[in-house]
Amino acid sequence: MSVPDYMQCAEDHQTVLVVVQPVGIVPEDQFFKIYKRIASVNQVNIRDSQRLLYIRYRHHYLPENNEWGDFQTHRKVVGLVCITACDSAKDWPQTAERFHGQKEVYSSTLYDSRLLVFGLQGEIAEQQRTDVAFYPSFQDCSDVERRIEDFVESIFIVLESKRLDRATDKSGDKIQLLCVPFEKKDFVGLDTDSRHYKKRCQGRMRKHVGDLCLQAGMLQDALVHYHMAVELLRGVNDFLWLGAALEGLCSASVIFHYPGGTAGKTTARKPSISQPADAGKRHRPGALTAGGISADTSTEIGRAKNCLSPEDIIEKYKEAISYYGKYKNAGVIELEACVKAVRVLAIQKRAREASEFLQNAVYINLGQLSEEEKIQRYSILSELYELIGFHRKSAFFKRVAAMQCVAPTIPEPGWRACYKLLLETLPGYSLSLDPKDFSIGTHRGWAAVQMRLLHELVYASRRMGNPGLSVRHLSFLLQTMLDFLSDQEKKEVTQSLENYTSKCPGGMEVITLSDGLKLPPVPFTKLPIVRSVKLLNLPASLRPHKVKGLPGQNVSTASPFIYSPIIMHNRGEERCKKIDFQWVQGDVCEVQLMVYNPMPFELRVENMGLLTSGVEFESLPAALSLPAESGLYPVTLVGVPRTAGNITVNGYHTSVFGVSSDCLLEGLPSVKTSGCLVEVIPSLPRLQLSTSLPRSAHTNQPMSKEQLSSSVSIQLFNGEKQQVTITLENIGTEDIESLELTSKTVNTKDKVFGKFLSWDLEEALRHLPLKPGQTVTLTISIKVKLDFSGQENLLQDLNDDGISVTGLPISSPLRQVLKPRAETKAVSSESGKAEYSHVKTLEAVLNFKYSGGAGKMEGYYRELSLGVHVDIEPSVFFTRVSALPATSTRQCHLLLDIFNPTEHELTVSAKNSKDLVLHPSECQRMAIQVEKFDFESLPQLDQETTRLSSPKQLEEERQQAQGCQINSKLDICWSIISLQSSREASVEGALNQLVLEHMQLAPLQWDVLVNGKPCDCDVVVDCKVGDAVTLEVKLTNLSKSPVGPLSLSVMPYQDYQNGVQNYDLDEAVTFIGSNTFFIDTVKPKESSVCEGAMLLLYTGDFYLNMKVQDDSARRELPLAWFTLPGVHIRAQDTPLQAGA
Amino acid sequence: MAVCIAVIAKENYPLYIRSVPSQNELKFHYTVHTSLDVVEEKVSAVGKSIGDQRELYLGLLYPTEDYKVYGYVTNSKVKFVIVVDSSNTSLRDNEIRSMFRKLHNSFTDVMCNPFYNPGDPIQSKAFNGIVSGMMVQTG
Repeated sequence: MSVPDYMQCAEDHQTVLVVVQPVGIVPEDQFFKIYKRIASVNQVNIRDSQRLLYIRYRHHYLPENNEWGDFQTHRKVVGLVCITACDSAKDWPQTAERFHGQKEVYSSTLYDSRLLVFGLQGEIAEQQRTDVAFYPSFQDCSDVERRIEDFVESIFIVLESKRLDRATDKSGDKIQLLCVPFEKKDFVGLDTDSRHYKKRCQGRMRKHVGDLCLQAGMLQDALVHYHMAVELLRGVNDFLWLGAALEGLCSASVIFHYPGGTAGKTTARKPSISQPADAGKRHRPGALTAGGISADTSTEIGRAKNCLSPEDIIEKYKEAISYYGKYKNAGVIELEACVKAVRVLAIQKRAREASEFLQNAVYINLGQLSEEEKIQRYSILSELYELIGFHRKSAFFKRVAAMQCVAPTIPEPGWRACYKLLLETLPGYSLSLDPKDFSIGTHRGWAAVQMRLLHELVYASRRMGNPGLSVRHLSFLLQTMLDFLSDQEKKEVTQSLENYTSKCPGGMEVITLSDGLKLPPVPFTKLPIVRSVKLLNLPASLRPHKVKGLPGQNVSTASPFIYSPIIMHNRGEERCKKIDFQWVQGDVCEVQLMVYNPMPFELRVENMGLLTSGVEFESLPAALSLPAESGLYPVTLVGVPRTAGNITVNGYHTSVFGVSSDCLLEGLPSVKTSGCLVEVIPSLPRLQLSTSLPRSAHTNQPMSKEQLSSSVSIQLFNGEKQQVTITLENIGTEDIESLELTSKTVNTKDKVFGKFLSWDLEEALRHLPLKPGQTVTLTISIKVKLDFSGQENLLQDLNDDGISVTGLPISSPLRQVLKPRAETKAVSSESGKAEYSHVKTLEAVLNFKYSGGAGKMEGYYRELSLGVHVDIEPSVFFTRVSALPATSTRQCHLLLDIFNPTEHELTVSAKNSKDLVLHPSECQRMAIQVEKFDFESLPQLDQETTRLSSPKQLEEERQQAQGCQINSKLDICWSIISLQSSREASVEGALNQLVLEHMQLAPLQWDVLVNGKPCDCDVVVDCKVGDAVTLEVKLTNLSKSPVGPLSLSVMPYQDYQNGVQNYDLDEAVTFIGSNTFFIDTVKPKESSVCEGAMLLLYTGDFYLNMKVQDDSARRELPLAWFTLPGVHIRAQDTPLQAGA
Repeated sequence: MAVCIAVIAKENYPLYIRSVPSQNELKFHYTVHTSLDVVEEKVSAVGKSIGDQRELYLGLLYPTEDYKVYGYVTNSKVKFVIVVDSSNTSLRDNEIRSMFRKLHNSFTDVMCNPFYNPGDPIQSKAFNGIVSGMMVQTG
């Protein structure tokens, strides 16, 4: 007996073995259909005796094993059912012959047999035979089960008779010695009369009777017989049989304790309709008394005692197995006993002891096993370990079994079987083929063994000829075991993966195996590892802006509160959080991923793109190559949304080593993202801007570079004007329907005079709507006028020649040209150059707002901003400005110290004066005679602004207005001939209060009339000697307060033009009346006139010096107010005149 | 005397495993891995009956043809497994116990290292030294 039946369990001891076999040619499926129906009759309630008979069916049984039938009767084939298909009566004899032949095989043990004939009809079928049943076809055989029940009953009758026959053997009779096949030769020539021998015979027979009782459903009797057998056999040291007796005892006890059976689900034993234990009791009346070698009543009383306790069962099993172990030939028995004991222990949940039994079973040597048997053995060990909850051990043996399937000694390796077994080991190694199980938290399980198993799966699937599977397993290995692979292994794995994928590219589809197992796709989320996903806003120039004030904006329906400090922190929602910028339909959108390559070699990622939902999205895949062990590496994935709506970025897809994977962000908790939901608004037009100026590298400081779409720079001299042509082109697909232009000066540190940027949009607007591809031009004029005079150090430098502003009247106009200072100032001008040639900059931003298409309907527009950067070089410096009163009180002289900071020759021209040529770094004074200004006549600021601005601002405001007026009067221009530029210069900034005062018309206006002729400086009044000259002085008060009383004295003098003035003119001039006048108080807007006369006695030039004294002396009025024009009278001889 | 020493985390993955270099390392991986079945069985059996007063030393887990596998479980369910050669019969239970105790002490030192991240493979040189000591100490 060499083939163990691993499926055996303890309760099999109470079954009778029936072999069901086909005879002749029977279709396999039909045979098994019938076999199944027969096998369903596995327990039969015997009429009259209330006992249950259990039947075990086999369709294949080795006659060799049958020879052990005496040792354990459940191994004995007692029934034979043959199934045959017989088409014609002609075949019948042959069939019958075969049936008999089959019976011969088991003849020694057979109690009864049956033949089921299918398909035979006619006279033969009519014959009544108990052992043959005829059915017309395999389908038409409704009473097979009943036939079998009859058959079983007939077996029972034989069994019962045998039991009674053996049990009633008188002790005096010679008892036959039962023995197992290998013992037979040992007993040859043994003294059969010895007491020892007799006892042995008795013991063995007892045990045999016990077996029969158990089979016949008499559990208690069996227990009694087994106990007695144990006693007898122990006395004669018949270990093999002692073991069998003990095992019988165990089996009977197990059946008693565990009526549900120990086999578990492996043999589909019906849940017993009637409990075997009950069956044991039911048959009690008279059963024991009828049988019974020395029917001991004490055993009957202690029948519960006969049954072993659960602990004892294990003890006895151990003992039995140790006895079996003494016999090499009983290996199969020992192994089966181990298996049975393990099943019992599994029921008892004593896993550790069970494992000991199994451990023992592993070492039982059954001699040379075929490969198939080895596989079977390992598989069953694995199953048993599984049964006791040792999943790892189970997996270990299953794997060994799998390896056995493809052992090199096997000519045709069973890779499919191997693969199937390997798959079954997965749970034991806590490995599932779903990568999702590995994505969260720490790695689970024993990586070293898991990796080995995965490698084996890859190899097996490859040998099976399924490269798709290999790729899937290899991908899984790479994805989940990446942390445990050495650099060398990583290289090897990826290399083989590339080899496989060249034949069969890996994808994202679920692979379903033939047995229904589904292999989920393995996305390579670690190749490369993505750390963060960030949706990028559109570039500033393409960003859509919502028109303010449209309904539906800023209306948050989420909460009735305008502000709430409670922010709902929901981690799950973070991902779905809507980002507060928009993408535009039809425009390229970007998502930035931070990735890194964990591999020790360069990683080529192909076809990397975005996975989105919500909006039709055209992803534009990218290919990238990451260097080995790269740090974080930014990758920008782009795509174009084709429709409007809300778009969600769900993940990305890659293709690495020929495996394409879709990596969803929800499965990657380690990826940082600030939200993946963004709104896509309908398409907007796009505008491209180009200018006639060169692009600038400057950035406007307060505005970040990002916000400016482009920027231009220009270099101008102060006061210069430049035209810039801006060309706007519609490069989008939508019409531009609206265009607005605004400007903003960024740099406000310096005061800007006049309008910096000015344009006329009307012309451009006439071209709207602008079709795609069309252009429109726009002219912007840039005018810079800055105050450069504020540079203190420079002023000091140039002022140290001592010229100071003076308010004193100088009778002669001064047009003094300062002596060239180049010699004296050379040093300082060189060193100071850097300072005073300091370039100022002015920056402004031009904003183009435009909109059109569907986006305009939704209230969106786009902004294009152009930075304008102007470097302003100083053109002319008014290093110092001073005013001198001119001879006329209505005029004054403005003295300007003009400095040329440029490197070119500069010509300065003013309204009433000659051109002045300045060499580089030269300073010259220029005098301009100007009319005094009546600032009072300047338009007053309206009340509104007056109220709103501070006094200081008002003052500035006023000064600026004054400066403006002065500027326009002066009309100072400069030109640089070499550069052919000619611009106006401004004195505004250089004017100070003192100068202004001089330039202002005095509020007291003196009009002097001599002989009725108004007199002012340079006017010579002619008169005749001896004639009375009338003098009229009229004072008009233009100030706001009354003036006076005043006294006016007139002093005549003669100027000899040599610096000597002769006031002693009593003989030459005589006043008619007083030479002093009294002027009473003059109210505002009024005037007062005083008249006098004088007589000139000689010819000559006389001057009148008029002085006013303020008699009130209450307040000091400015001296300039009382400056009267000088009067020049030329007295001539009358005759001469008359004669002429 | 020991041919393989392993430290296994609570979650049943190896924190440390070292075996004699002459042998197939994977074999020991399998040996130790399968021994976890017995460890779990023993721990669960003990846990039910006594509670916290548990003997850390689990004794012989299972004998194989060539090796004997001993187990030890700390209170934090970290397992130590020592595999010794079956031929080494002179080895007493007490010596195994003391080996485990030494191992446990050294492991505690490793855990006390503020730079050690619990759950990471053990790379401590001191621990390695202790283990080496146990492996070469041939009886």
